[in-house]
Amino acid sequence: MADVILRDIVKSFGSVTALRGLNLQIEEGEFVSLLGPSGCGKTTTLRILAGLEFPTSGTISIGDRVVNDVAPAQRDIAMVFQSYALYPHMTVAENIAYPLKKRRIPRGERTVMVQKAAELLQLTELLRRKPRQLSGGQQQRVALGRALVRDPKVFLLDEPLSNLDAKLRSYMRVELVELHRRLGRTMIYVTHDQLEAMTMSDRIAVMDGGDLQQFAPPNTVYREPANRFVAGFIGTPAMNLVDGELVLSGGDWTFRTGNLSVPVPPLGENAAAGPAALGFRPEHVRFGEGPIEGTVQVVEQSGHENIVVAKFANDLRITGRAPAAQVWKPGEPVRIRIDTAEAHAFAAGPNGERLNRPRAAA
Amino acid sequence: MNPARRTRLEREYALLGAILIAPTVLIFCAVIVYPLVSAIYLSLFQVFTPTLEGSWVGLSNYRELLGKEEFWTSLLNNIIWTVGTLSLQIIFGVAMALILHQNMWFRSLARSLILFPYFVSTVVAVLVWKWLFNDLYGIMNHLLIVSGLTDFPIDYLGTMPNAMISVILVGAWKYFPFVVIAVLARLQTIPDALYEAARIDGAGPISRFFDVTVPQLREVLVVIIMLRAIWDFKEFDMIYLLTGGGPITSTQTLPLLVYKEAFKLNQMGMASTYAVAMMAIMLVFMILYIRRTRSEEDT
Repeated sequence: MADVILRDIVKSFGSVTALRGLNLQIEEGEFVSLLGPSGCGKTTTLRILAGLEFPTSGTISIGDRVVNDVAPAQRDIAMVFQSYALYPHMTVAENIAYPLKKRRIPRGERTVMVQKAAELLQLTELLRRKPRQLSGGQQQRVALGRALVRDPKVFLLDEPLSNLDAKLRSYMRVELVELHRRLGRTMIYVTHDQLEAMTMSDRIAVMDGGDLQQFAPPNTVYREPANRFVAGFIGTPAMNLVDGELVLSGGDWTFRTGNLSVPVPPLGENAAAGPAALGFRPEHVRFGEGPIEGTVQVVEQSGHENIVVAKFANDLRITGRAPAAQVWKPGEPVRIRIDTAEAHAFAAGPNGERLNRPRAAA
Repeated sequence: MNPARRTRLEREYALLGAILIAPTVLIFCAVIVYPLVSAIYLSLFQVFTPTLEGSWVGLSNYRELLGKEEFWTSLLNNIIWTVGTLSLQIIFGVAMALILHQNMWFRSLARSLILFPYFVSTVVAVLVWKWLFNDLYGIMNHLLIVSGLTDFPIDYLGTMPNAMISVILVGAWKYFPFVVIAVLARLQTIPDALYEAARIDGAGPISRFFDVTVPQLREVLVVIIMLRAIWDFKEFDMIYLLTGGGPITSTQTLPLLVYKEAFKLNQMGMASTYAVAMMAIMLVFMILYIRRTRSEEDT
């Protein structure tokens, strides 16, 4: 059963349109990430769900009721803010107890609930401290505690890990996934960090320019990006995207640019000969042998592999992953082969749709 | 570090530092330390103001002060004035700051206008208020009579408790903008996320005011109250110009008493004694203030 439904949500701030008819159905207990660059509308979506912003048009349902006119506190949601938004003058215990207090839950019950939340988040030792006496990670756990003590139907998390250092962030990622598994509640998580979205989510909603670009499990988003934007946005280093044209000859598609010509995997019915883009991930570029000849430009060593950027005829730059043992030096000539079975074809334009035949059918 | 082992560069830096702070230290000594010491010194003499000639009396000025009714009356007046005007300044100041913090189209204009009483010179302000209060041609009496609230003009400055109330009101009017500015500055730094979190947690507007706004304002209010208490306590020109301490001594505060003793009764020694006593009382505020800021730093 769908737990959270956004139907045709439009949100304008003056002359700026932040969301242009967003449709999203989130299942009960799902962990969904809203992922996209700054200004894509992901935070606006979350704030509309929370009731902190009102949509210009469209309906929002949580559970089985429309909540457009329901106050934030009555929506059965809890939100964790990017800045944590802990009440600075209250102790950890008072912070966690605050939503319970506002719901007039008796003191005795409150204490038990706070204790339980504190145990779950390993905050028991810190209950009497003030937020400013806590580290970033601890403050973050208090913010989580304040959210989960209410046992809401839906958790809304607005880039909760962005203020933490890299090590703590990867630790908290695991903690959050574990928490989600234990609570079994719907969690909607806003992030601009694709690693967070990929590692934690059941499904990712990739957004750009106020539009939903793709809503699918992480693997699908990575292996079958719906359009050129998603293809370029997901994956580090980014997918190679080369502009050129599609040619159909004898039932087989070929992609051409300059003097480069590569076969393309079977395309769907929406494919047409003419301008298009070819996309292939760095891991599908083989260095050392192959038909394409160029020069190594930059080598980034990351220990377990080398990211190699090479330049080819017509100013074409291709990024690939090479094993750490393969040593490449800038300026050195190189030959590459593109694993075209894993390549994608996109229609022309920045958001051109993917033209490949769906994987199951291919 | 052992001075003998200082390098030449370190010695040069130390010398440069001393040269740079020397002017400040000299000015500080000339305008603060000298008058302070000299006031304490004068309080031990009986001095005739016009000639500044005097004789050593030791602590007898202080003995006289403790037994003098006028001193205690003035101290009581001073406390009534300070508490009265300060409370009104805080109440109006905070209320006005909350109003000006809202999104209104005339907000920036209102924010500038609100500063007017604070900017206007005390003499001008007092003249204006004296016109307003005047029992023959003052607008306040005119309005009261026209509206039928009173049959006879009210004597705002010549009777008690009207005089004290008037002085307190004018003081509140003159100085509440300071509170507005300080509180407004603090209000603008309270993160919106706190209010949003409170809304999601189920706090209504009143809860949000008491659970988010008030605790956030506490720090700045402590500083405002301390500073304004010190400034109001030693207020001279406004009260002097408005009532001159009258009727008789009903609105005479300690600064007015010091002035009267020094320049009307020509007793500079006794005046200095009052001034030193006043300083001792204000020292209590200052110690509270310093202890307060220190305990803030500790936690």
